[in-house]
Amino acid sequence: MADRPERNKAKRRDFLRLVGLGSLAGAATAVTGGKAPEAQAEEKPQGAGYRETPHVKKYYDTAKF
Amino acid sequence: MRWARGRTLTELFAAEARPSPRNGEVAETPPDEELFRARIYGLLARLLAAPPDMPLLASLAGLTTDNSELGHAFARLAEAAGAATLPGVAEEYHDLFIGLTRGELLPYGSYYLTGFLNEKPLAELRETLGRLAVARAADVKEPEDHVAAVCEVIAGLIDGSYGTPQPLSVQRGFFETHMAPWIGRFFADLEGAQAAVFYAAVGRLGRRFIEIERAAFAMDA
Repeated sequence: MADRPERNKAKRRDFLRLVGLGSLAGAATAVTGGKAPEAQAEEKPQGAGYRETPHVKKYYDTAKF
Repeated sequence: MRWARGRTLTELFAAEARPSPRNGEVAETPPDEELFRARIYGLLARLLAAPPDMPLLASLAGLTTDNSELGHAFARLAEAAGAATLPGVAEEYHDLFIGLTRGELLPYGSYYLTGFLNEKPLAELRETLGRLAVARAADVKEPEDHVAAVCEVIAGLIDGSYGTPQPLSVQRGFFETHMAPWIGRFFADLEGAQAAVFYAAVGRLGRRFIEIERAAFAMDA
């Protein structure tokens, strides 16, 4: 049927919104969600308990695809 | 400990300016509900690559959530973040993923699929990444099938970080080949891991989100 892709698209959109993925609309300001690993690499360790292990350091590099 | 409250999911993820296509190509910006998927993958990638720092922990603790399925998972994460301390999450991360000889979990696709690291699933993933023209930095030794890496890759496919946003068919191919066969099990393991407290909530969010992804991709069939 010709309109099937469109219908599926609408179905998917409605489903995603229903489960909570619609809440991005109309937003203005924000904290990061996406690219933090790269940004993190620049940060100094903070707080007494923070340990930047070799593994983590290594991963920071990895994260840059 | 309690941090600033009242930040909504929307604000947390509204995030970065929308990706603009490179190469002068005109690409359609994905709708919000699709971009939001990229933000969730991005958050999971961030939390699985390293323990959260204070700003991130505070942002998560301050989330206000709606009554949706993901809203509930985020509410649990917010609660866990509110109860967590910086040394606490660092220790959790260490116990879960690093350990003295190894962590409680081995967050690699190859391990989940074959019982060994660096096996065929990794080779297949590398082949796919090559086709997608996504490459790791030259000096990187960590394999690409680390859970944080695949989450970051699919986030990039969705939001166009690697050039232009990729169509659902490409996202779906990547998801079904390199994530769906194992990543749900990983998140379930994380949710139930002995060392996990804050990370149990991360595991739960990841597990629920992957189920949603699976169902949503199936609709596009």
